[in-house]
Amino acid sequence: MEANVYGLDAINAYNGWAISVVGVTIVFTGLVMLSLAISQLHKLLSLWENREELSLFKKKAPATDQIPVELTPGQKESARQFKLLAETLNEHFSLPRLLKLAKISGIDHPHATLARLLETDIIVSDTQGYHVLDMAQFKTLAS
Amino acid sequence: MEHLFVDFFQNTGFFLCDYRNIVMILVGMTFIYLGIAKDYEPLLLVPIGFGMLMGNIPVFQGLGLGIYENNSVLHYLYQGVTQGIYPPLIFLGIGAMTDFSTLLARPVLMLLGAAAQTGIFFTFLGALALGFAPNEAASIGIIGGADGPTAIFLTAKLAPKLIGPIAVAAYSYMALVPVIQPPIMRLLTTRKERLIRMEEPRDVSKREKMLFPIVAFLLCCFLAPAALPLLGMLCFGNLLKEAVVTERLAVAARTSIIDSVTILLGVTVGASTQGDVFLTAESVGIFFLGALSFCIATACGLLFAKFMNLFLKSKINPLLGAAGVSAVPDSARVVQVVGQQEDPTNFLLMHAMAPNISGVIGSAVAAGVLWSFMS
Repeated sequence: MEANVYGLDAINAYNGWAISVVGVTIVFTGLVMLSLAISQLHKLLSLWENREELSLFKKKAPATDQIPVELTPGQKESARQFKLLAETLNEHFSLPRLLKLAKISGIDHPHATLARLLETDIIVSDTQGYHVLDMAQFKTLAS
Repeated sequence: MEHLFVDFFQNTGFFLCDYRNIVMILVGMTFIYLGIAKDYEPLLLVPIGFGMLMGNIPVFQGLGLGIYENNSVLHYLYQGVTQGIYPPLIFLGIGAMTDFSTLLARPVLMLLGAAAQTGIFFTFLGALALGFAPNEAASIGIIGGADGPTAIFLTAKLAPKLIGPIAVAAYSYMALVPVIQPPIMRLLTTRKERLIRMEEPRDVSKREKMLFPIVAFLLCCFLAPAALPLLGMLCFGNLLKEAVVTERLAVAARTSIIDSVTILLGVTVGASTQGDVFLTAESVGIFFLGALSFCIATACGLLFAKFMNLFLKSKINPLLGAAGVSAVPDSARVVQVVGQQEDPTNFLLMHAMAPNISGVIGSAVAAGVLWSFMS
């Protein structure tokens, strides 16, 4: 580089314009980035401090085999009729016997209704080959 | 026996003195006067002023007395300046005594600090135009950052022979901020603008204050790695302060360390301003450009604040732009004073600290950028 260059020639010779523009851009970019980061900092901290209330961070309930239980009005009526039939039998009754009585009584869709009562644990196995009526579950679902 | 007296006399300062030593001694005494009697940045002007007295005592070369002689005590102490050791330690202390709450509460004010740093690059262009080499021009431009340690750090890396005039110019103008800035502030703002009241800042949590130095350091140094020594120490000092568990270290950083380093830096910088080195046409150019740099930085900050108000719903008082000049906390105090001259109930000091502090970060980034360009 020649010595004693002045004015605009010196600025052009040493890429002064480019250095200045790039330098200002970098300084501005850095402080803009920092300003943006800081402006979000308190929001991120608030999110972290309240994380237990967020569904994203909520601990999921352990999965169970239970199916959500709800009976239709028709099923509830059929369930009440099955209950009356079961009460005419022993406490521990035979499922085929109950089904036969349901068909004789004219209950609508006896097979489907009985299957639903088994699904909803209104009628449960006693593990001895017979079944019993769970009154608590009946009252919860069918009354 | 006569020869002994003659030899002795020829080794005295009275014999070796020339007018340049006298001028610099008078300048040193002026600095001491301004520091003590007028309370203009006494922690800087008194050590620098006395250093000027020490550096301009005429001594016989070869006795290991002068600051530029390799085996002198002053030369060893001066290594902290030329090797760039003192400025990062000063930044450590600054970080340990700075509260970044106002900056965290309203981050948009950080842009005012960025705007004020454009004065550095305007001055860089001016220095090139006056015939300075690019590395010298960069060192002169950084005076506009109004940050003494940053100016000394960059000059030590790029143009060590200019440390004396640049440091004296930087610290002189920092001390003269209350004189330089107000006329520019009144010229570039209307009375209506000066009366703008700022919104109350939100509360800032302790965690935010602890995270800020880490986030700021990583972001800025990934962008401009050359800013690592200065920004690293600034952020580290601030983390020591905010972490509470390291309060002992923070206290040491903002008291004994910064005070010790300020003494050594001031005295050695002052001593480096020897008449034959300092009183040159170059130094006059540096002083002129330094003043220009301060004025442009102040103007850029003010004008950018007015520009931002075109887009902001909640207006900023444009006087805050002048606080982007990182003479902490003097330029913030000047904003407070000028604002209160219009409305005594308008308290702008804490708001002005935000751009003031971002100016420190901005000038460190600018120094890193210039260093990386010139290396």
